Amino acid sequence: MSPEVYKEEKKVKTGTATTSAGTEQYRQHLVKFQSLIALFILCLVIGLLSDKFFTVANGWNVMRQISVNICISVGMTLVVLTAGIDLSVGSILALCGAITAGLLKFGLEFPALDMFIGFTVLGAILAGMLTGTALGAFNGWTITKFKVPPFVATLAMLTIARGLTMLWTEGFPISNLGETFSYLGTGWFLGVPLPVWISAIIVLVAVVVTKKTRLGRYIYAIGGNESAARLSGININRIKIIVYSIAGGLAAIGGLIVTSRLDSAQPNAGMSYELDAIAAVVIGGTSLSGGRGTIMGTVLGAIIIGVLNNGLVLLDVSPFWQQVVKGFVILLAVIIDKANSKGE
Amino acid sequence: MKKRIKYGIMLVVALVLAYNSVYFKSLSEVKATPTADQFDATTYANEFWSTKLTPGLGQAVEINTLVAELETDKDAAFAKHSHALGIGNIRYFMIRGEGEITTIGENTVTVVAKTDQAQQPVKIETEFVYGNAVRDAQGLIDLTEFTSTMHLNSVSEEINRKIRTEVVPPFKANAQKGQRVQFVGAIELNQEHLRLDEIEVIPVALDLVEPEGASTN
Repeated sequence: MSPEVYKEEKKVKTGTATTSAGTEQYRQHLVKFQSLIALFILCLVIGLLSDKFFTVANGWNVMRQISVNICISVGMTLVVLTAGIDLSVGSILALCGAITAGLLKFGLEFPALDMFIGFTVLGAILAGMLTGTALGAFNGWTITKFKVPPFVATLAMLTIARGLTMLWTEGFPISNLGETFSYLGTGWFLGVPLPVWISAIIVLVAVVVTKKTRLGRYIYAIGGNESAARLSGININRIKIIVYSIAGGLAAIGGLIVTSRLDSAQPNAGMSYELDAIAAVVIGGTSLSGGRGTIMGTVLGAIIIGVLNNGLVLLDVSPFWQQVVKGFVILLAVIIDKANSKGE
Repeated sequence: MKKRIKYGIMLVVALVLAYNSVYFKSLSEVKATPTADQFDATTYANEFWSTKLTPGLGQAVEINTLVAELETDKDAAFAKHSHALGIGNIRYFMIRGEGEITTIGENTVTVVAKTDQAQQPVKIETEFVYGNAVRDAQGLIDLTEFTSTMHLNSVSEEINRKIRTEVVPPFKANAQKGQRVQFVGAIELNQEHLRLDEIEVIPVALDLVEPEGASTN
């Protein structure tokens, strides 16, 4: 090959490579910001169709509503990152809300001892959170100790926790929980609703944990390749129990917010909340096979779900159609995620 | 040494939290404590029931008439007969009717309310008596009487409890398929997505009608 021809050919090849690299870079940017782009388009469309969407009151309303889903979704992200799933968060949310409400309103009575144990707001909240964490730990224990698939173990807990909620409440709502407790779900701090503060703090802590701590690295490692993680000396069982405990604890916080906001613990609270949480995680780009995903992605996913819910209500779409639309959005998110994985 | 300090701090925190979380009292003392300073939902609900709700039942619209009006001009019927405290499409009606019991289910009793012109099936709730339908259906609640939404909600809770314990049990014990019943109750309808095929009634009054000739043998 003559030097001229070689030079010419090299030039062409380099040009193609540059174009290809540019396209790849563009694709990567698109993948990176796909949730944000989806959210932007969604807001734009709803905003054009409803004049109530871009109002301050509606904005805060959406933020309040998604704060519960964010609490649950953050826990769900950690679980999914370990290649697990937690279907029990909705029921745990209901049980913890009910326990908090019951202890706060009625305390514990021991007629045989002529003793009454009353609970302060702090005490009732702690009891609710401890219950959630303990149930989450139980999930982790059954999954690791008896090798029960997470889907089955948490499905069982879904039923157990719902049944316990019915037993605790006797099927009736527990209402009138006092102004102090109501402040948790309805109050404002520095011009921002308190539930938004709570979810923001949870997100911040979760981001730090996943990005900057050993626990975070272990979670990604287990989800990425469990065998390799085990061989490298990571105590898989311990990490999984911790992760499921966190998911339970965060579901309990969600339960506290819901109960406080409604000023009532409803026995059927949190029904199918686990699906919204899984949807947020998937839409946020976390891989259901574990090891890949971010907390901020999940937050975006939760915002998309929240905006979608709000938009469909504002546009007066029938609740039945709302479910259909949400289902298709989740399906679309998974298909896009699969396509991206292939691309990588 | 470091571990001891760590566990010591954790113990102190746990003790402080526990001290601020629970308190112990004698149960008999707690039971004897009057709660006069609190809103008494039971008293309010009983008074509301006897002085406002039941005296106004005579103005309840007959179910077949309501259905006919809804089918003719939905918005006019909602404006004329419905009430609600909040905004939105869900509104409540106080209705009455008389009809034959066709099905006695675990949670509902189905009654076909007949007039000369029409017949409308309704399901009378006998198990799941919840919500604000009865409280709000007549528009008689005065919001200014309440200092908190908690109190307002507790009124509904008490009214529903009264229905569950006083209205439903005698009816449920004696109701038989084919028997006639006069009913008054509250229903909830969605103005935007109106469905009239499955009207559910939260009963306020249920009277089983003695069959003709029952007293004369």
